[in-house]
Order: sequence, then structure tokens, then C-alpha cells
Amino acid sequence: MLTIAAIGIITQIPARLGLDLQGGSQLTLQVKTTEAVPEITPQKLESVQQVVENRINGLGVSEAVVQTAGQDQLLVQLPGVSDPEEAERVLGGTAQLDFRQQRSGTEAQLTAEYRVLQEALAEREALQTSGDTAKLRENQAAIERSQQAIAALFDKTGLTGDKLRDAQAQPFSGSAWQVIIVFDSEGAEQFAELTKNVAGTGRALGIFLDNELLSAPLVDAKDAATGITGGRASITGGFDTQSASELAVQLQGGALPVPVEVVENRTVGATLGRDSIERSIYAGLAGLALVLIFMAVYYRLPGIIADIALVIYALLTFAIFNLLGVTLTLPGIAGFILSIGMAVDANVLIFERTREELRAGKTLYRSVEAGFYRAFSSILDSNVTSLIACAALFWLGAGLVKGFALTLALGVGVSMFTALTCSRTLLLVALSFPSLRKPHFYCPNLSTSRKTQPEATT
Amino acid sequence: MKLRVIQQRSLWWAISLAIIVSGIIGMLISLQQLGTPLRPSLDFVGGTRLQLELDCSQADNCDEPIDAAEVREVLSEQGLGNSSIQIIEQYGLSIRTSNLEPDQRAELRSALEAQIGKFDPQATQIDSVGPTIGRQLFRSGLLSLLLSFVGITVYLTVRFQLDYAIFAIVALFHDVLITVGIFAILGLTLGVEVDSLFIVALLTIVGFSVNDTVVIYDRIRETIQLNPHRHINDIVDDAVNQTLTRSINTTLTVLLTLFAIFLFGGETLKYFALALIIGFTMGAYSSIFIASTLLALWRERSGQAISAPAMEPADAASADEV
Repeated sequence: MLTIAAIGIITQIPARLGLDLQGGSQLTLQVKTTEAVPEITPQKLESVQQVVENRINGLGVSEAVVQTAGQDQLLVQLPGVSDPEEAERVLGGTAQLDFRQQRSGTEAQLTAEYRVLQEALAEREALQTSGDTAKLRENQAAIERSQQAIAALFDKTGLTGDKLRDAQAQPFSGSAWQVIIVFDSEGAEQFAELTKNVAGTGRALGIFLDNELLSAPLVDAKDAATGITGGRASITGGFDTQSASELAVQLQGGALPVPVEVVENRTVGATLGRDSIERSIYAGLAGLALVLIFMAVYYRLPGIIADIALVIYALLTFAIFNLLGVTLTLPGIAGFILSIGMAVDANVLIFERTREELRAGKTLYRSVEAGFYRAFSSILDSNVTSLIACAALFWLGAGLVKGFALTLALGVGVSMFTALTCSRTLLLVALSFPSLRKPHFYCPNLSTSRKTQPEATT
Repeated sequence: MKLRVIQQRSLWWAISLAIIVSGIIGMLISLQQLGTPLRPSLDFVGGTRLQLELDCSQADNCDEPIDAAEVREVLSEQGLGNSSIQIIEQYGLSIRTSNLEPDQRAELRSALEAQIGKFDPQATQIDSVGPTIGRQLFRSGLLSLLLSFVGITVYLTVRFQLDYAIFAIVALFHDVLITVGIFAILGLTLGVEVDSLFIVALLTIVGFSVNDTVVIYDRIRETIQLNPHRHINDIVDDAVNQTLTRSINTTLTVLLTLFAIFLFGGETLKYFALALIIGFTMGAYSSIFIASTLLALWRERSGQAISAPAMEPADAASADEV
């Protein structure tokens, strides 16, 4: 009955494949503390998760999953993504957009600092192709210094990226792109106020992303009366198609309350995943076949019964995986294959015990019963120790490791059940056929000097 | 055939000791050369591994096998000269570098494509691990190993007695130490790296190897209860021999599946299976030859060679049906 149900489940519910088998990318994000946020509370982590989910959706990856892991990590799964470079960049930045107002009397200073920055940026471009890491680091420091100097020339206005309603990438001129932003009503008012203040003064409006100046446009004197109304603005600043759309995705998804860093990236191409599936199927079938042959040859009739129980075991376990929605990973499959080898352990214990009882001169029926009865404590002990190791793995292990622990533990549990019920029932059924009730089916080389005739005593 | 495990115990111990010592020497040499007793994969020390394969469905893309020197040149230009390069089946390439930012990775990839040819994105594998998370993986791995040792000791103490549990753990240490030692030697000779799957393998060895020991202990306990007046050495000898076929057969069935994984399971699982093969074999060995003989020696030395006659008679009676 169970077997039929199991086959039904296997055919009806498809197995859930891990990213290492179906192909895809798994990123681990480390949420970092800052001076302002010294501790990552569960609420904080949740809001980071929300932003990350928004951004992933913005990238258009289907069936992406974002989970929290531990107290300060997020796990992002992107099925079908073979190079997560874009995702890594989009998820990496906090994307804190900030509109600031230039201080009066700093016009000349800004022009000078801006030129320094442009030069440093141009230098970086040149250095990146040469690959001189020492110089690059020097240049990076120079850029940061220059950014800080520029930031010091502006005052915050309180108008930030959380007052946006929309952000879209649009072509600007030539190959350059811009990001069009739409403020919400409060943001629109603030933006009008800000532009009114700087219009016609020669002072710039500073658009900062993560404390770095993106652009510093001047506002025309004709807007001095009301400021720029309507709540729409565009950000230019040397974007190309890709960087503009990435910024748009980030702005739409909202700013991250704390910085995050991609600390782990595991990506497997779909072809490699298919290869792995194919190989594990071969390995699984070969392993199963070897065990089946060994049992039948060594243990004769009980061996064949154990084989039937083993096949039932394999079907049942696989059905349980599908039913519970266990995600199969490569190590998980290894755990399953391994559990096939371990599953016969209980049967071996029982049959060895049965043989011993037979050699001691007991009747066949009583030997089988005693085999099951006496082997039980050994079976229990040995399975519990395996489960302890699995529990330790599951509790402390990371993603891949968890899959292995889970499949192995489920396998051990189911194998105890099949050994104690299936094998036993089948063996007792077999014993009910007189033609199968011959001790040498159960134990070859059973000493013929013994005078016991098991059949006669039942 | 009957094994005289007690009589020949110095031989069994010498064999184990020899393997353990050579493993420790391997670890020491490795410690000197690499700074770690085993060759760690990027799982534990951080870094980036890129596995790429030329897209051979495109015309003229796979005209000639990848030349490692060419790859080395590209890497040097990117300032990644000290990375390790491996050519896989002529058209595949595996590069391990320090931890790369996404931009650096993209740049390296396009530089390689310009030099060598178009890669198949569907056959790409990227593993990138930051140094902090590497330490985290390592710590949690060690912690779970420790935890399972404690768990098994507690369980065995409850089910048996403390001295049984201690020698079972000694046998487990023996199995784990030998597996680690052999991988230290493999790391030195073949460059085999240990990753998080290796720690999983060790834990599985811990969980499985203790099985054989438990079964033998179970039999020893049963015999002591039946015959409290027999000498522990005889009991252990008998128990080992009575369970010998079982110990060998269960290990054998598991090894059959492991060899299947080792041969057909692909690159990722190959050394995982190998670690398990070594560990499980050693597990059977240590259960038969180490855990049992140590227990006998301990009981003999501590004056418990012949169990106290005051055993619960109920147990003896129920089993007395021969």
C-alpha cells in the first residue's frame, strides 16, 4: 500500500532540486553594523530583507528566494542565474540618495575639488587596465579624500531617497543615460524649496549617493520664484545603460538601512547541474545494484526479502523527500545513496542473529523471531548514534551540509521502519509457504550433523 | 576461522599506531610547508574559484586546447599572478585566486575570453568566499564535530557504562585521526584540498563508525549478563567473533555504495566519498581490534576481569532458552 502511494507521490510531485543541480546562484549577504546602528536587531534584518527582495524583483529574476540566516546574514537564491555579477552589484550598495545644498562662498572651492575628483577618476580608469594594485589603492585613497572634501561643502536638507515614488533609467544623449526620479508629495515640496534656494545663485544642488557626489547641477534663475515644481528630476552623472538601470533598481527598492556585503557566492551553470544529476543517478543505481546483488548472494532467501524491503525503502524515502519538499542538493543525494548502504545494516544484524540461532539448533520460525527480537537493541543503538551526528550537522551546518544531514537522517529513520516492519512481514509470509521453509535457504553450510528438523516442530 | 583479538592485540595496536604516526608526520610536514595541517580549500580561507568551459558549439571556438601559459599571462596582467590554474579535459579551466570583487571577476573573465575564446555561461561555476565566512564555516564545522562526540559519549554512558563510552570515543578519535592524517598526505602529494564536505564526512564517520563498536559492546554486555563468571578476555574474543560477519558485511554494503559515488559521482563528491571510505574502513577495524581490546585491558587492569556475580537474574532467565 505504502509502496503504491510512494510511487504515486514520486510521479505526481516533482523533486525540488537545489541550485547546485538545477543551476543558479546563491549569495550570502553579511549585514554590517555602523556607528549609527551598532546592533543588528531582528527588525533591522527584516527591513534589510525587504529592501533586498525589492531589488531582486527589480532585476526580474523569477522564483528568487531571500531568507535570513543567523542573526546578521541573508541568503539570496537566484535560480537560473549563471553570472550574478549584476545582482552582486545591485545588492551591494546601500543606495542612500541624498539631495544637499551648497554652502555659500564655496563656489571656487567646489570647481577646484571637482576637477581633482574628475582627474582621479580618469586615472582610476587607466590604472584598472594596467592592473597595478599598489597604485590603484593610492588612487582609491585620493578619490575618497576628494569625495570627503566635496561633501564638506554641502549641507544636508533632509530630502533623501525614501521620498521617491519611482525611478526609471532613460537615454539622455548619445550613449549616456540618466535616471528619472519622481518624488512623492512631501519630497516634491522639499525639492521645490531646495531648488528655489539655490536658483540663480551660482551655488549648486548636490545629488549624493552613499555620500559620494553623483552630480552638482545649477538651477536656472527663472526658477527662483517657485523652485522646480512637479516633483520630477533627472540625475545625470556619467551613467551608461547598465549603471543607470542598476541605480534605478536600487532607488526603487529603497535604501538599505545598513550596509551589506556579499560574502559568499556559489554559482553553478545549468549544464553542470544537469551533469551532476546524471552522475548521481548513475552512482545511485550502481550503488543500489551492488548492494542488492551482495545481499541476495550472501543471505539467500532472506537476502532477497531484504532486497525487496530495500527497494521499498528507497521509494518510500524518495517519496518522503518530495512530500516534505526537501530540497535535493548534491551532498543531499550523496546522503541518500549512502543511506541505501546503511539501510541494510538492520537486516544484516537480524539475519546474522537468525543464523546464529539456527546454528544453535533452534527451529526456523523461532530463530527468525529471535533474530528480530534480539537484534533490536543493537539496531536502535546504532541508529541513534547516527542520528546524533546528523543532528549536530543539521543544527550547526550551513546550506549544503544541512541537505546532507536531513536526507541521511530521514533515510536512517525510514530504514529502521522498513527493516522492522517490511522485512519482518515479508519473512513471515515467506515462512508460511512450506516450500520456502528450508533452513538452508536461510543459512548455507548449516551443519548437517545436527539432528534438528525445524519443519517437524512447527 | 576464529580471530584471537586479545592475544594479538599488540599487533593491531602497532598497525594503527603506524598509520596514525605517518598521518601526523604528514600533518607536520604540511604545517611547515602550507602553514596548516591540511590543505584548506577556499571554503575555509576565502577566495574565488572560477570554473569555465569553452563553448564548443560555436564554430572555431575549440580549435585548440587551452594553454595554461596563456591563462597565466592574462592573470599576471590582471595582477593575479600567484593564482593556481588547472586545465580540465582540454577545454575546461579552473582558476583559484584571492577573493575577487564582482567587477574584478567580470574583467578577468572578459580578458580571458579575449585571449582564449568564448566560454559557455551554462557550464560556469563560481565559488567566492569571503575570509570571515570561511572562518565561520570552519568554526561551526569543528563545533558540530565536538558536539557529536559529546552527544555520543552521553548516549553510550546512559545505554552502557562510562568505560564503554570512553573506549568507543577513543576508537572514534582513532578513525577521525587516521582519515585526517591520510588527507594530510594526499594534500601534500596530490594537492587534495579539504572543504566543508570533508567536515561533513568526518561527522558521518563519527556517526557510523560507532555502530560497529556499539554492536560488539551490545554482545559483550549480553554475554556478561549470561555468564558473569567468565573472564573478560574470553567474552570479548567471543563477542568480536560472533559479530564479525555482521561488522564486515554492513561496512561492505556501505562501501559498495561509496565506491559507486567515488567512481560515478563526479568531481565534487569524489574526495567526499574517499574520506568516507577511509573512515568507515577504519571504523570497522577500530571496533573489532581497538575498542574491544582496550575495554578488555581496562577491565582486567582495574580488577573487573570477572564481572560481579550479583547480576540481575531476570535477564539471565529470560535469555536462557538454549
